[in-house]
Amino acid sequence: MDLLAKSSPNRIGDRRKRLIPLVSLIVIVVLVGLAASQGAIVMQRRVILALIYLVAVVGLYIFVGNSGVLSFASSAFMAIGAYTTAIVTMAPNMKSTFLPDLPAFLAIQHMPPLAGIMLGGFMAALIAAVIGAPLMRLSGISAGIATLSLMVIVYIVFGNWDSVTGGQRSLMGLVGYVKLPQATLFAIGAIVIAFIYQESRGALMLRASREDPVAAAASGIRITRHRWIAFVLSAFVTGIAGALFAHLQGTVRIESFYLSLTFLLLAMLIVGGSQSLAGAVMGALALSLLGEILRQLERGVPILQFDLKIPGGLGDIVMALCLLLILMFRPLGLAGGRELTFSRNRTSGDNG
Amino acid sequence: MALSAQSVNVRFGGVRAVTDVSLRLDQGEILGLVGPNGAGKTTLVNVLSGFQRPAEGDVQIDGQSVRAQPPHWFPANGVVRTFQSVRLFMGLTVSENIEAALTVAGYSRRSARAKAGDLLDYLGLAERRDTIASALNYSDERRVGIARALALNPRFLLMDEPAAGMNAAEVDELGVLIHAIRKDFGCGVLVIEHNMRLISDLCERLHVIVQGATLAVGAPEDIWGLPEFRSAYLGATS
Repeated sequence: MDLLAKSSPNRIGDRRKRLIPLVSLIVIVVLVGLAASQGAIVMQRRVILALIYLVAVVGLYIFVGNSGVLSFASSAFMAIGAYTTAIVTMAPNMKSTFLPDLPAFLAIQHMPPLAGIMLGGFMAALIAAVIGAPLMRLSGISAGIATLSLMVIVYIVFGNWDSVTGGQRSLMGLVGYVKLPQATLFAIGAIVIAFIYQESRGALMLRASREDPVAAAASGIRITRHRWIAFVLSAFVTGIAGALFAHLQGTVRIESFYLSLTFLLLAMLIVGGSQSLAGAVMGALALSLLGEILRQLERGVPILQFDLKIPGGLGDIVMALCLLLILMFRPLGLAGGRELTFSRNRTSGDNG
Repeated sequence: MALSAQSVNVRFGGVRAVTDVSLRLDQGEILGLVGPNGAGKTTLVNVLSGFQRPAEGDVQIDGQSVRAQPPHWFPANGVVRTFQSVRLFMGLTVSENIEAALTVAGYSRRSARAKAGDLLDYLGLAERRDTIASALNYSDERRVGIARALALNPRFLLMDEPAAGMNAAEVDELGVLIHAIRKDFGCGVLVIEHNMRLISDLCERLHVIVQGATLAVGAPEDIWGLPEFRSAYLGATS
């Protein structure tokens, strides 16, 4: 009908405006990378780790932020990414030492790190695609528990699959591929993927279902399907974060991928604000910074003639306190569920 | 072209919510579904929109059985419902509420944004476009609910108490709007309503259900005269 056949004015300006949130986040990440490049090697390493966490939190945001369904599966997908790249990129002679029983077709692989990292993302996505099919029918607490189970299952399987993962032993000798430029580029890549997704039709439908699943179904939205798509894409990005982590450390051990990692990533997303990409990025950077400050304080920082030092373990308590304060006083997180727009294009609390 | 329920029965545990009701909504007509609270009106709308599968009986569109289809299938096939409690996507903007429905109907994000603007103009909500839905006043919230339903380009629009909580002036505006929707969209409209003035202004036909069963179907003036209707609905004894 012709009521629905007019076109919008000012399309180009509108489009440019919609890219502002993306561009501002990229600028922030580039600035962080540039600033760190001037610092000491140890500091650079901390920033690289923060950028890898950022990739993982953005991955988590793609699913949790858009669907409103909680997921504890981050560390599982990171483990899958890390082990995948370890198995396909380690030098064959290293593999014959650490993984003597590895199937032959894997034992002969010697891929470059970039290929291994991408493959890590794809493996995580593949597993998410298979497991997500039944899982995405769940919501609320049951979905959360199911993803928690997924994390535990991956932890137990990888911790005991001696022939392929080396079980409880560490895998060593991975190429230290991830330096500051690579970490920055991958962080930008994750942000771009998340932004393109969140601007898609499917993501809008998914956010509608996050707000009201019944009304979403009444609007014709296939909730399970759109959740599944977000879950798979989220696993891809998170898997890449895991692979990057492996190529930063140079070693992979299953203990790195368990509850503490999952809770750190969730805390980052919640502190930043789970309902916007800006929140995911800000949360990852803010908690990384806070964690670093607390770590330094635990070791002791000389200020004038004093040596400022906090008792060991206080850092974790302060971190938990921050999470609590955010949950109590700013439940939508630092970003308040908004993107960085630098203009007031949304009016809320306006009833007149 | 008709949406129909045929000999539908719905039970919740031991309670018979709907008993052997047959109802027909033709494209282009406005049908009033009336009855006292708890009569089974909303349950019937749930059946017609796929949210409640009947224990017995069938739901048909143009003679084709659709009773086994999931709720999200119905809007794609022309059957769209609204809710008594509106149920907007509260954290999204007004425009995004409409756009979400338009993207289901196949629009791209960009064209959905433009069309949403046109629909909001149609409903007099253009200034509310970027307001977060949770900040709307009650009357605007209801209008956005209607706009979201219209975005799905319905052939059959099922409205569950659209005038609930509105003042007299707003009810009059709603009456004008529903007439316009029927004319502009050519759809059949089923209205559950307690406001008898609105019902008699809108509807060519009424379907009365009481305690889950059909009491009468007919023109409003015929229905008003029925003593059974008066006693069931108004509690009058004479």
